[in-house]
Amino acid sequence: MFEARLTQGSLLKKVMEAIRELLNEASFDCSENGIQLQAMDNSHVSLVSLNMGSEGFDKFRCDRNLTMGMNLASLSKILKCASNSDAITLKAQDDPDTVTFTFESENNERVSDYSMKLINLDQEHLGIPDTEYSCVVKMPSADFARICKDLSQFGDCITISCTKEGIKFSVAGDIGTGNVKLAQTANVDKESEAVTVEMQEPVSLTFACRYLNHFTKATPLSEQVQLSLSADVPLVVEYKIGEFGHIRYYLAPKIDEDD
Amino acid sequence: MGIKGLAMLIADYAPSAVKENEMKNYFGRKIAIDASMSIYQFLIAVRQQGVQLTTADGETTSHLMGMFYRTIRMVENGIKPVYVFDGKPPDMKGGELAKRQERRDETEKALKEAAEAGNEEEVNKLTRRLVKVTKQHNDECKKLLTLMGIPYIEAPCEAEAQCAALVKAGKVFAVATEDMDSLTFGSNVMLRHMTFSEARKMPIKEFHLAKVLDSLNLSHDEFIDLCILLGCDYCGSIRGVGPKRAVELIKEHRSIEKILEIIDKQKYPVPEEWPFARARELFQQPEVSDPETVSMKWQDPDIEGLVEFLANEKSFAEDRVRSGAKKLLKGRTGSVQQRMDSFFTVVSTSNNATKRKAEEIQKNKNAKKPRGGGGGRGRKPK
Repeated sequence: MFEARLTQGSLLKKVMEAIRELLNEASFDCSENGIQLQAMDNSHVSLVSLNMGSEGFDKFRCDRNLTMGMNLASLSKILKCASNSDAITLKAQDDPDTVTFTFESENNERVSDYSMKLINLDQEHLGIPDTEYSCVVKMPSADFARICKDLSQFGDCITISCTKEGIKFSVAGDIGTGNVKLAQTANVDKESEAVTVEMQEPVSLTFACRYLNHFTKATPLSEQVQLSLSADVPLVVEYKIGEFGHIRYYLAPKIDEDD
Repeated sequence: MGIKGLAMLIADYAPSAVKENEMKNYFGRKIAIDASMSIYQFLIAVRQQGVQLTTADGETTSHLMGMFYRTIRMVENGIKPVYVFDGKPPDMKGGELAKRQERRDETEKALKEAAEAGNEEEVNKLTRRLVKVTKQHNDECKKLLTLMGIPYIEAPCEAEAQCAALVKAGKVFAVATEDMDSLTFGSNVMLRHMTFSEARKMPIKEFHLAKVLDSLNLSHDEFIDLCILLGCDYCGSIRGVGPKRAVELIKEHRSIEKILEIIDKQKYPVPEEWPFARARELFQQPEVSDPETVSMKWQDPDIEGLVEFLANEKSFAEDRVRSGAKKLLKGRTGSVQQRMDSFFTVVSTSNNATKRKAEEIQKNKNAKKPRGGGGGRGRKPK
């Protein structure tokens, strides 16, 4: 038996929005520790890793570890039927064929439930090594989303360069070039608006805009985003989910190759 | 032409070994292409009103047209193609080739009759069957590839075998061919429909040998025996043993020798002097160049050379050749998108699939069930 109840159902809706464009289907791994998901997009350029710890749920029970494969288009349809203020409960049997979603309105006057057939997915789990990143930048997530959106008008890829002064995003395309520089904020009134850079050594890497823009769909989840970069390894873009989880996007860089 | 019914057999017994994919998802991959197979395809498929494209002098240009544009399409999608040409056919293929010649002769006869009878549709069909890739076609294609900056390799013997060797050595990601014997030769990944026209909207089918073997529960050598039983280009097969029977036999007895010991020769006549052992050897140790020694270099296209060759000699439209060449050049510049799997290693594959395959298709329709559970379910006819 698996049961997970989240009073703040809107979180789940936001998580869904954050992965919907990147993935068509994904399997959710449920254990007593919580719910996890790891999946690559179709082209295997990016990877999403989602973790929601059991402590964040109002009620969490998972007797046996389960893997629930879901079609995300279908899941999104169902979650669209929930209001933002609804509490959401997920339920499934051991070795399930379906999963049930129950939406309860705040005053308990309206209760709806939807069940969805699960699918079996053939998915590869990747081992992600613990990496010490050369640069770790924290910045307001809305700012990151805006930069990606603005710069992607001019070219297909954004170069992210990080020094101890700050972080620079640049683009070059047919019509010209664009640069956005963010300096490390000196004194911060609000923590959510801070830009902080922890740097071991400067890094400059190039990434495809298309994926960055998919990642920024997670912006509503968290006011801050954390970017971790090291030369020649994937970029990590991390958003916190409330107090109990995170969604991490990994993106393979573009590298100049000569053969 | 490959292994009889292998594609079907894989679809039946090992559905998880086949994936469908779009071309754009293969960006950055090096892919070996069976050149003779694609030239043949182009000669058949690239036509106008059923007639091959030609220059004013009547020289065929269908193969060049096909090769030029389909290669550009791959490069535009970020794929790095390398073409592999056939060398001399192996001696063992003599029988098969003689049979093909026989069929050609028959077709030619039929064509004459059809032409006399004025049956245009039939003539059309039969001329396609008579298409043959000549040395001139090959040479022209090689020249074209050189001008385009695309590498090609001349295999000492069968192109598929050479392609498979390249895949095995990790020199390329996959083989693109329609011929299923690439799998028999041991290439881990094989792509079908890679060089098909974009207009046909045919998804690329990706076959994984390891998964095929896994699902069938066979070793590679046993798989080779299975392919020989199904019918390959190098020797005959046992009459009356179809795909289903062949799988059963191999699974039970694990080798052709053992099968021969037990099989009812009255019911299933085994060909006399059946050279299956030599065919097997050919699959196991085909004559190939060492993949480490072959050089593959992608270079900038020679635009003026292309214009000279295609536009002036072969009456292609010059502006189209130029714009094609520009696309090739664009595909070369810029940095290369890396893939996740080149950084992180696969630790486990969860593969409990197949049982709900059918439901998957219906899923979208049924995803949203009416609330309360009752209404949605009880819809069975009474």
